[in-house]
Amino acid sequence: MTTHQIELAGVNKYYGAYHALRDINLKIRKGSFVALVGPSGCGKSTLLRSLAGLETISAGDLVIAGARMNGVPPRKRDLAMVFQSYALYPHMTVEENLTYSLRMRGVGKAEARRKAEEVAATTGLSNLLGRYPRELSGGQRQRVAMSRAIIRNPKAFLFDEPLSNLDAALRVHMRKEIRALHDRLGATSVYVTHDQIEAMTMADHVVVMRQGVIEQQGAPLELYDRPANQFVAGFIGSPAMNFVPARAGADGQSLVLDLDPPQTLQSPKPVAAGRALTVGIRPEHLQLSGEADAALRLPVGSVESTGAATYVTTATQPELVIVLNSRVTIRPGETLPLHFDPSHLHLFDKETQVRLA
Amino acid sequence: MSFALRDKVMLLVAVLLAAIYLFPLYWMYVTAIKTGSAMFASPPSFWPSDPQWGIYGFVWESRNVGRYLWNSLVIASGAVSLIVVLGTGCAYVLARYRNVWVDIGLFLILMLQVLPASLMITPIFVGFSQLGLLDYPRFAVILSIAAKSMPFFVVLVRATFMSVPMELEEAALVDGNSRFGAFFHIVLPLARNGILVSAILIFMQAFGEFVYSKSMIQAIEYQPASVGLNSFMGPNTNEWNNIMAYAAMYVTPILAIFVLLQRRIVSGLTSGALK
Amino acid sequence: MRKLLLSVSDGRGFDIGLVSVPLAFLFAMAGLPLIYNIVMSFQEVDMFSLGTFARPFVGFKNYITLFSLPETWPILRNTAVFVIASIAGQFTIGFALALFFWTGFPGSSWLRGLFLVSWVMPGLVVGAIWNWILSGDFGVLNYILREVGLVSGNIFWRSDPDFSLWAVVIANIWLGISFNMILLSVGLSAISQDLYEAAELDGANVVQRFFTITLPMMRSTIGAIIALGLIFTLQQFDLFAAITAGGPNNSSNVAQYWAWDMSFRQYDFAQGATISVIMIVFVMIASVVYVRSTRHEVRG
Repeated sequence: MTTHQIELAGVNKYYGAYHALRDINLKIRKGSFVALVGPSGCGKSTLLRSLAGLETISAGDLVIAGARMNGVPPRKRDLAMVFQSYALYPHMTVEENLTYSLRMRGVGKAEARRKAEEVAATTGLSNLLGRYPRELSGGQRQRVAMSRAIIRNPKAFLFDEPLSNLDAALRVHMRKEIRALHDRLGATSVYVTHDQIEAMTMADHVVVMRQGVIEQQGAPLELYDRPANQFVAGFIGSPAMNFVPARAGADGQSLVLDLDPPQTLQSPKPVAAGRALTVGIRPEHLQLSGEADAALRLPVGSVESTGAATYVTTATQPELVIVLNSRVTIRPGETLPLHFDPSHLHLFDKETQVRLA
Repeated sequence: MSFALRDKVMLLVAVLLAAIYLFPLYWMYVTAIKTGSAMFASPPSFWPSDPQWGIYGFVWESRNVGRYLWNSLVIASGAVSLIVVLGTGCAYVLARYRNVWVDIGLFLILMLQVLPASLMITPIFVGFSQLGLLDYPRFAVILSIAAKSMPFFVVLVRATFMSVPMELEEAALVDGNSRFGAFFHIVLPLARNGILVSAILIFMQAFGEFVYSKSMIQAIEYQPASVGLNSFMGPNTNEWNNIMAYAAMYVTPILAIFVLLQRRIVSGLTSGALK
Repeated sequence: MRKLLLSVSDGRGFDIGLVSVPLAFLFAMAGLPLIYNIVMSFQEVDMFSLGTFARPFVGFKNYITLFSLPETWPILRNTAVFVIASIAGQFTIGFALALFFWTGFPGSSWLRGLFLVSWVMPGLVVGAIWNWILSGDFGVLNYILREVGLVSGNIFWRSDPDFSLWAVVIANIWLGISFNMILLSVGLSAISQDLYEAAELDGANVVQRFFTITLPMMRSTIGAIIALGLIFTLQQFDLFAAITAGGPNNSSNVAQYWAWDMSFRQYDFAQGATISVIMIVFVMIASVVYVRSTRHEVRG
């Protein structure tokens, strides 16, 4: 008995000549919450739809709960899906929407009704059961879509950007609610989003995709701390990581940053002399320091303050962003003395953009 | 000029334009109830002074209008049923996919839509007579009309299906339905109005069809109302009041449907043909 | 077998099943006749060989005979006049009405929709009504023209060779105005109001706005409508049957009526097929123009 609820091995998908998914290998543990994240067109939705059976995979194996599912139609996969547009049946009431999948499986009328009321009670839809989708607000529709998924006990929940049509405040609230629901039901969930914050805050396991390839997968903080390549490093974290072209010094211990003006740093690990690199540092890891222990001295370009934090953009080429979690008075033109923990420095090969081990 | 006044003036002009445009229709109804001498009076009277309502009963009886209309109804219903049964699925598939094959299919269908009936009737007539189909003339006409009008129906209904979000069908599939079930439970109910309006449009066209019926139906007892009207109008007829009464009985049902469903018909028509 | 069933209930088989039957039907009922038409135009067809497929092929003889007939060129000329005059009339009046209703006032869309009744009426009925309106001695049109002072004597619309074609053109314009107007209205309402406001701020007056905003923005719509008008005009048959029957002496005959007349009045099916082939080529060209001007719809 495997503990993996969903397993993908060597999955490929072609649309004609277009290679939409390339050699996808992914194992999803029973009870885990997995987020598929990446820019639009990266293949995350295609992957989700392949799980659901809405797309057929061109090569590879898809196993759900121990059974190979490659050619199995969606209705026999026993998965529930929440669509971005919610896909509520407009000609059915909320109750009919909720019980549709039960009725398809031959559940009796009374039983279906009882279950609908039960689910509606937990999602706060009890007094809306007789309404039609067009009579509901955006948030209510979202709840109906969620309830429709949880009313049966599927092998896994699939979410396709379910929060993207909600306003910012409601989105933050629903994030927590979906995760709480997942924990309460002990479900297995696959969640597609383009918003890395959603992925980081909700998931146990984050899969970052680009152009049909899984760039990296792992626990959220692992992706934050040790991004496997420059793409993941830039995608995870907000504001995005600063990248500076650099070259290893002759001694193999120092890094010469190709900033204007150039700066020299102590390398966190030995590097072959003269090797071309890209150095990455997150905006929140740069801190103000005294003149004496400054690792970097950077001219200030512009300053924006949100009250809680101060965003400094440097007058260097390329520009660097610094987030200071204190209210400081900084003016453009000043030179800022900065320091950072060397373990927060990320080194990538200039050509392959892969992290140096 | 105040807005209210401008609106009133515009409305007045619009009503006037509509009245001019619809004058031929009015003239039909007025002529129908004129007496023989009033009809040929000079100057003609634009308001019937001595309405002859009895003319309708007379024409109905003498021209056997009931039988003609029944044949029109049979032919139109047959053609519409065939078109709806075959065309709906075709429109659905053409709406659901976007690829080269769909483009080719659409192109061919658009091309078929434009073939004039009066040019296609020659090969159809010869072919049908060789196949012996002309022994069932109404059926032969139904088949021909179905082939002629199906492309238009497919174009209109395809636009309707495109407005049904694909995700609804996918949700139904994930919820445990087959393609059959999702099509009949989810997609069809949502496209019902569009299909209905398109079917009504096709019905009205088929109800007035002339070329195929005229060419293929020799037996008078199977001829539709259009052919009946044609044979009523000899070259030197002077029974114009009777002819107009016949025409009025023929078009009034269609006009009634049109006025009732005007808004839907107009929007259905415009969504498919352009844009 | 099970696999096939599964494909029909859950996969591509469902779509293929839905689309193949109608396409087969259309091919049998429209594609095959089209081919058969071309074949017949190269054959000798008479009443005796009508029932057999084995008819002698005669090469281009039918085409050569056709173009040596004295009425051929006048009829083709009539067809061109009929098409051009009909489209010009329908389009101009339709556009004027569309612009008028586009200004918007209470009831405008309902009244505009009312114009479409002409489109749903059977062509034979429209023809019958116009036949009566255009009647020489007792026609109401002649009466109105006399009263207005445009003519002094009655015009014998249907029996005067100088006017017979125009009788059908008038009826056809009346029939086509509504369709032109509705489609042009759709095109007009698709133009963003912002553009007009911007042009007004830039100092353009009503006429300038029409020529610099409306017309350029309507270009593809106008192209599609004119192509559609061409297609519908070439399909027009019922009005000829109901008003002039092509007469007198072919003065109002057009190709699409002539083709039918050859086959079903003179029983010369080969000539009927030959005329049909030539006309279908013209219609096809028009429809390619139409498809091209609406290809953003086809291509998505």
